[in-house]
Amino acid sequence: MSTQSSRFEFDPGFEDDRLRVAWYAVVGVLVTVGAYATYFRLTEGMASTNLTSIVPWGAWVAFYIYFVGLSAGAFLVSTMANVFEVEGMHRIDRDALFAAIISMAVALLFVWIDLGRMDRMYFPFIWRQLTSALSWEVHAYVAYIGILVTELYFSMRIDLARVAERTSGLKERFYAALALGRLETSEESQSFDQRWLKRAGIVGIPLAIFMVHGGTGVLFAVSKARPYWNSGLFPVIFVISALLSGTALVMMIYVLRTRLFDGESVDPDLLDRLAQLVIGFIVVDAALTAIETFIAIASVHPHEIETWQVIMYGPMSWSFWWFMIGFSWVFPMVLLSKRSWRRTPSVMVLAGLSVVVGIVAVRFNIVVPAQVMPVMEGLPHGMYFPTLVEWGTSVGMIGVGLLLYTIGAETLPLTPLTGGEHE
Amino acid sequence: MSATDDDTLPGIPNVGKADLDAMVENERPDPREELADVEADTDLGIAMAEDAQRVARGEITGDEYWEKYDEAAAEEFGEAYLETPNPAVDAGDQTVSTDTAESLSCSVGSMDAVATESAQVDGEEADGGIGAGDEKWGMVIDLQKCVGCDSCTVACKSENRTPPGVSYNVVMEEEHGEFPNVTRTNVPRPCMQCDNPPCVQVCPVSATYKMDDGVVNIDYDRCIGCRYCNIACPYGARYFDFGENYDDEVDEAGELTSPEYGVDRGPREEGKSPIGNIRKCSFCTHRLERGEEPACVETCVGDARNMGDLENPDSDVAQMADSSRAFQLKEDEGTDPNVYYLK
Ligand code: SF4
Ligand code: SF4
Repeated sequence: MSTQSSRFEFDPGFEDDRLRVAWYAVVGVLVTVGAYATYFRLTEGMASTNLTSIVPWGAWVAFYIYFVGLSAGAFLVSTMANVFEVEGMHRIDRDALFAAIISMAVALLFVWIDLGRMDRMYFPFIWRQLTSALSWEVHAYVAYIGILVTELYFSMRIDLARVAERTSGLKERFYAALALGRLETSEESQSFDQRWLKRAGIVGIPLAIFMVHGGTGVLFAVSKARPYWNSGLFPVIFVISALLSGTALVMMIYVLRTRLFDGESVDPDLLDRLAQLVIGFIVVDAALTAIETFIAIASVHPHEIETWQVIMYGPMSWSFWWFMIGFSWVFPMVLLSKRSWRRTPSVMVLAGLSVVVGIVAVRFNIVVPAQVMPVMEGLPHGMYFPTLVEWGTSVGMIGVGLLLYTIGAETLPLTPLTGGEHE
Repeated sequence: MSATDDDTLPGIPNVGKADLDAMVENERPDPREELADVEADTDLGIAMAEDAQRVARGEITGDEYWEKYDEAAAEEFGEAYLETPNPAVDAGDQTVSTDTAESLSCSVGSMDAVATESAQVDGEEADGGIGAGDEKWGMVIDLQKCVGCDSCTVACKSENRTPPGVSYNVVMEEEHGEFPNVTRTNVPRPCMQCDNPPCVQVCPVSATYKMDDGVVNIDYDRCIGCRYCNIACPYGARYFDFGENYDDEVDEAGELTSPEYGVDRGPREEGKSPIGNIRKCSFCTHRLERGEEPACVETCVGDARNMGDLENPDSDVAQMADSSRAFQLKEDEGTDPNVYYLK
């Protein structure tokens, strides 16, 4: 798929065909594993998990809040370009938005598979409960996806029109349809788009911070029965770690897509700017987590102390020390420490990947340990490690996300055709 | 009977069968006197009673009996007769043929079926459906009387037919102190039917809600199985139904289910509620509606568990819940349980 034009070059997709085959093979394996595991999930029901009535929430919930976080973080990065108009960020606007949409779709897949009655997934839109954070969340997610799609549309519409103009037949109709038939490429149409992009972004910011991700934190924090979650700082940490993972993701995607899809060189200034954002978020995230830990321990509430003991010294403590502390804070911090490294794409991909993987452990350590401690003395302690079915389905759903992302990146003008700067 | 008056056994006083019969006859109240006290027609009563004895002896059939008296009974007892289930019709081994049963003017159907029916919620608007009672149900558990035998747990399992991993009631055993000064408290834990239930607060689809009689209901037809309530309950009272069964232990374990919250769901089947739903103690609502106590209360060997109307100041539970010994679990959570304990 190469469309040459005098002014713009539009050739999304892998530069290297062998790489394309290899990548799709990997994604294909993930999706196949997932499909196989999902078969067990569907036929054996929830008994295929290691969940119990004592630990009713496990890997799927952890991945769900993880992807909601990735999405909210990536979206907030996009607003730096389209709302705050931070110089040079325009280049990654669409990358961030598209990643946010896909993450959200994956998050909802995780919610869905986690329901005891998957066939009733639409019930929350029929019956509601005003006092339920989850009821609010479900609606916020839908509104949020709406905002993301709207934004991506206004951000990309003019390039879709341009591409439609230069192609013919089926392709032309495809791109024209994505542009919803608005095919002008005039200055006015562009400023119209930008105005609406900004408006949607302004609505989206509070939605993402307070409702989507803050709200997901609230979902846990309101649970008075679990002192470990029941804290005001909790939703804030949620948002910060979301920003951290989202920015790291966007940084990684920016490098990989520019290199492997556009065949261009990475803008070191932009990379450095993203890297510095990551540093900032790591610092705030670590600081707030430390405060939260300190308050918990200093309160000498036995429940809190024991939960922290489970996290730090329990059978799963490796996930805390290696992944949470190591991969999401210390290791990336080292990579980000030198200016020349921050301007080296390969090092930054590594740093981004490290954070993106490390935050998974953060999410697990939010969800699981609070359930290990019994809510009342005399009730049994919880034990949980995901089954192969849980891992398999999770891998599969992540695979679906990667597949959707790749297909999108291979067909959509995610890189502004006129280059990175404001047109 | 081959036994004659001469057949004596060593060590057994030789009392003649005739003597025994005479004793019984002596004790038997005079039917005329008895029936004179009730409004209904005495002659009809005596005739029916005598014929009933004939049915028992096999001299006439149940069919003949009912055909003979149906009209007279309808006339004598009116509405009351027409609306009662015919006691002779008992699913499975009834004493009258179905044809005759249907020809009778009183409602056809077994006592059982009628009881279940009247306990079912009929439609949305049913004001008077399940849980609409005037009582406010409460339970008081006397910890001094509880011996920790777990009979309540077992009774609950068999009454509610809960699958493996689901136990509406557990007895928490706590040991305090150090050897040799150890004390042990057994704390039975059903669902507290909280007045401010966090489980109700968090349910995204309002599948779990408080009924007028104070019991927290779960609508298995609406619950999506998200387990948020499971997370929110401060008492660990909610259990997820993972679809497991006692098939290895008991043949056809899933054939019978309990009409929880007054809804009869038939045999337990894969993919059918309550599998994939959250479950918990319902104070045996289906029994309360029939005027019975919850299974755990009925079975308790130490008589530690009491059930009654907390809003009736004369009731035992109201008085016990008011005593200085009474307390609730986790009072500082603000959930205000309707299960009280006596220390
Ligand atoms: S004990 Fe738990 S399940 Fe029962 S009403 Fe209270 S919060 Fe709900
Ligand atoms: S598991 Fe069922 S009853 Fe509990 S919160 Fe979810 S939908 Fe409501």
